[in-house]
Amino acid sequence: MLNLLKPLASLKLTVWIFALSMFLIFAGTLAQVNQGIWTVIDTYFRSLFVRIEFQIFVPQSVGRVPGAIWFPGGLTLGVAMFVNLIAAHAVRFKFKKNRIGIILTHFGVILLLVGEFVTGFAAEEGNMTIREGETVNFVEDIREAELAIIDQSDPEEDLVISIPQWKLSQENMITNGMLPFRIEVTEWLQNSQVFGPAQSPPDRVGLADTGAASQLAAVPIEIANGVDGANVDVPSMYATLYNGEERIGSFLFSVYLSQPQLVEIDGRDYWIELRFKRTYKDYQLKLIDFKHDLFTGTQMARNYSSQVQLMDEGRNVDREVLIYMNHPLRHAGETFYQSSFLENDEGTVLQVVKNPGWLIPYLSCTIVTLGMIIHFGIRMVPALRRKPS
Amino acid sequence: MKSSQRVIPWIVFVLAMIYASQKVFMPERIDGPYDLNTFREIAVSAKGRTKPIDTVARNGLMNISGRQSIQGEYGEEDLTAIEWYIELATVPTQGLDRKVFRIDHPDVLTLAGLDGEDRTRFSYNEIKDAEQEINRQAELASNTKAKARDPFQRAVLVLAQRLSLYRELSSLGSPYYLPPNEVESEWRSFIEVINMNPQDQDAQRVLQLLKSYRDAQRMEEAVASGEATQEDLDEAIGYFNSMVAAQHEVIKARLPGEVIKSKLEVIKNQARPFVSASALYVMAFLAGCFGLMTTQLKKDTLSKTLLGTMTSLVVAAFIVQTIGIIARIYLQGRPPVTNLYSSAIFVGWFCAIIGLYIDRHMKLGLGGIMASVIGFGTLIVAHNLGSSGDTMEMMQAVLDSNFWLATHVVVITIGYSATFFAGFLSIAYLLLGIFTSALDRERGKSLVKMIYGVICFATVLSFVGTVLGGIWADQSWGRFWGWDAKENGAALIVFMNLLILHARWGGMIRDRGIVNLAIAGNIITAWSWFGTNMLGVGLHSYGFTQSAMFWLIMFVLSQLSLISLGLLPMKYWRSKFERPEVAAESE
Repeated sequence: MLNLLKPLASLKLTVWIFALSMFLIFAGTLAQVNQGIWTVIDTYFRSLFVRIEFQIFVPQSVGRVPGAIWFPGGLTLGVAMFVNLIAAHAVRFKFKKNRIGIILTHFGVILLLVGEFVTGFAAEEGNMTIREGETVNFVEDIREAELAIIDQSDPEEDLVISIPQWKLSQENMITNGMLPFRIEVTEWLQNSQVFGPAQSPPDRVGLADTGAASQLAAVPIEIANGVDGANVDVPSMYATLYNGEERIGSFLFSVYLSQPQLVEIDGRDYWIELRFKRTYKDYQLKLIDFKHDLFTGTQMARNYSSQVQLMDEGRNVDREVLIYMNHPLRHAGETFYQSSFLENDEGTVLQVVKNPGWLIPYLSCTIVTLGMIIHFGIRMVPALRRKPS
Repeated sequence: MKSSQRVIPWIVFVLAMIYASQKVFMPERIDGPYDLNTFREIAVSAKGRTKPIDTVARNGLMNISGRQSIQGEYGEEDLTAIEWYIELATVPTQGLDRKVFRIDHPDVLTLAGLDGEDRTRFSYNEIKDAEQEINRQAELASNTKAKARDPFQRAVLVLAQRLSLYRELSSLGSPYYLPPNEVESEWRSFIEVINMNPQDQDAQRVLQLLKSYRDAQRMEEAVASGEATQEDLDEAIGYFNSMVAAQHEVIKARLPGEVIKSKLEVIKNQARPFVSASALYVMAFLAGCFGLMTTQLKKDTLSKTLLGTMTSLVVAAFIVQTIGIIARIYLQGRPPVTNLYSSAIFVGWFCAIIGLYIDRHMKLGLGGIMASVIGFGTLIVAHNLGSSGDTMEMMQAVLDSNFWLATHVVVITIGYSATFFAGFLSIAYLLLGIFTSALDRERGKSLVKMIYGVICFATVLSFVGTVLGGIWADQSWGRFWGWDAKENGAALIVFMNLLILHARWGGMIRDRGIVNLAIAGNIITAWSWFGTNMLGVGLHSYGFTQSAMFWLIMFVLSQLSLISLGLLPMKYWRSKFERPEVAAESE
């Protein structure tokens, strides 16, 4: 058994993992220039393998560079580091006083890797957009859209059928047992800009012939990558609705549009909209006041703050909270951060994070730091005490 | 002979301190009957910070012309920034002919209809006809993404921005002159208040102050042409001086704390501690190099005197720099590192500590020499970063946390310092080893031990700093690690240091390997310190400049060539590290 572990425990392997990790991190940083940070996190840092294009090392303004190499992704390297560490301690484990530091450090690193693993798989992030005076009980995932079809015919409860983004972007004919009509997605735009009748480019006019948005046109644009301040994709789609074989009309749906469109089928009203994917919560937040202070005589923000009323019947909570920069609200395993705001300061955007492993990094880093201080302390202090020769 | 070893460094230290502090104890007064010495200390508010007019004037002139004063033509005296500013704010007709706009790009010169044959600075009157076209070109350029702009577009944007600053200063749009009062808790714009509410007392006082300067200037002309007498002029100037005093009194009454701060900031503006410190570092470097050379020549007393002198110069530079940093902390009410500019100053400052510490334990003098190289280098970098405006600007809302600035930012910057120091010590090892016979087995070993120690220190600090950054990120947007460009850069430094340590422990590298990898650490550190900010992505993408990119590439190339030098087979090194052969046999 030990013989099997020996090669896995070698320091040579450690050094190679470090070197490969450095290259991966460097490439993953450069790749962010042209791909969105979320794409990069998924393809570089949370993947088994990544295809690194040579183009990322050369600015596009300088020239096109073909070719790419396959490289171990963050997940592979993380697991390799994990195995290497465990194996090293299994093979060479000797509890000596002067090794306490090393053992603590490595234990902390293992915990750190576990923490990142937990975050990668279990953390959920979303946004809560609230206008002043409004009460909101759902979180939006701004990285994913859904097509919501709302039937309000029951006075007690709305019936909401939502079709996830992967279905919209991959399948071109969508049917659902709850729906009397079929949806044919004629065009999916991952990121788009929506123009009014006067500004829309001629080749994009008239793609939709029915619905409240038929006068507008959506134009595909590059995927947002956090450059130039834009880091959220605005998906849009063109779709044709069929009632059996009868064509109802073609529609433009877009996350950009704030109102759902009315479609009447067989005497029944359906409100349809493309919106960011919602998760409903058992608590509500009401925005009482949003403040956006500037430094005197400048346009530079000094502070953003949201005064909210937190209401959660199930937990017997009903209180006012002030959320501002570096002062989040923690409630029900979730944390609410001041993230952004609506135009003209009409409302706030809170980032809502649920990360069951959020404490792990704190713990592991304390252990690593302690371990390093002990380790280097044991070795350095006598060296420094020695009289200069 | 021995006494010179002790005495000369002390004398040099005292001289250095006198040199650096002369402007503090003997401040430069502005001669003449106008009380501009008080005027420049009057507090105003610009870009959200309360500061003396002196700072506004210096930063404005620096931004527009690249200098802090205007050189006199044909034997005239130089014009100080404050004289230029008050002239611009009160008697524009005269100020419009001052040659302050720096323009270098030939196409921009052509655009403005100028001939750049014999000078690079032009007056507003010379370019005003082209102002509309300059603004049109600037608008075209601003529609291009920052990274895609060509040199002409960048140059024309700079000029347009300078013109707008010039207009803002001359029209009194900035700074804000009216201090908070019983009703208003914020500073107010003089020009807005005087238009909306001409009876406002504060606005009236500032109006009188500015008007009195113009009246006095006109009176000077009248005296010259014989239309008025010297007494009239004296009276006019006296009135200006009394208005200056009145404004100063009002601010003293309403913002008592700001008076001392303003005074101190004016002294700091004049003394320019970081400029003095960089001069001292250069001298220290020279003394250190000669000291090393004379060690080789076995001139013991001389070399010890020179190395002692170097140490005292580094100590002096360090003290001056410390005072400068403390002054910034006091003026800003913030921890020492708040932006790239101050991080550069801090890196040099901390390297001086490491260098002096190393020299105490290893009397080679290399610590001091490398401290002076890094000290000077980082101050030059800081100077270039700070040349476009106020280096004590207000912080973005998300960074507005003294606790995290004091912990994460300071610790990570110390991590940069230590990694750099290990890299620079390694460069010293390489150069001495290859080109001189100064190193032998013993000295080489102890130098590498030092490098190794600094790397251990750097590992701890860069790790702790990175982690503290993660905790801050978790506190402010709920993500411990976001794979942001700057975070990744910090992780690279940690990995680089870990790689060196593990490769050493695993026996994959020996002394020379440590040295070469530590120099590679310089590249990594420079990348994560500056390179990541140049990508224009992520949360830390501030301070992007094209020329910085050029220097970064140059730095990386220089380090790469050093590493390739370090790969030279040992037989070509002039220093011999093997054990002497006889001794080896006898063992």
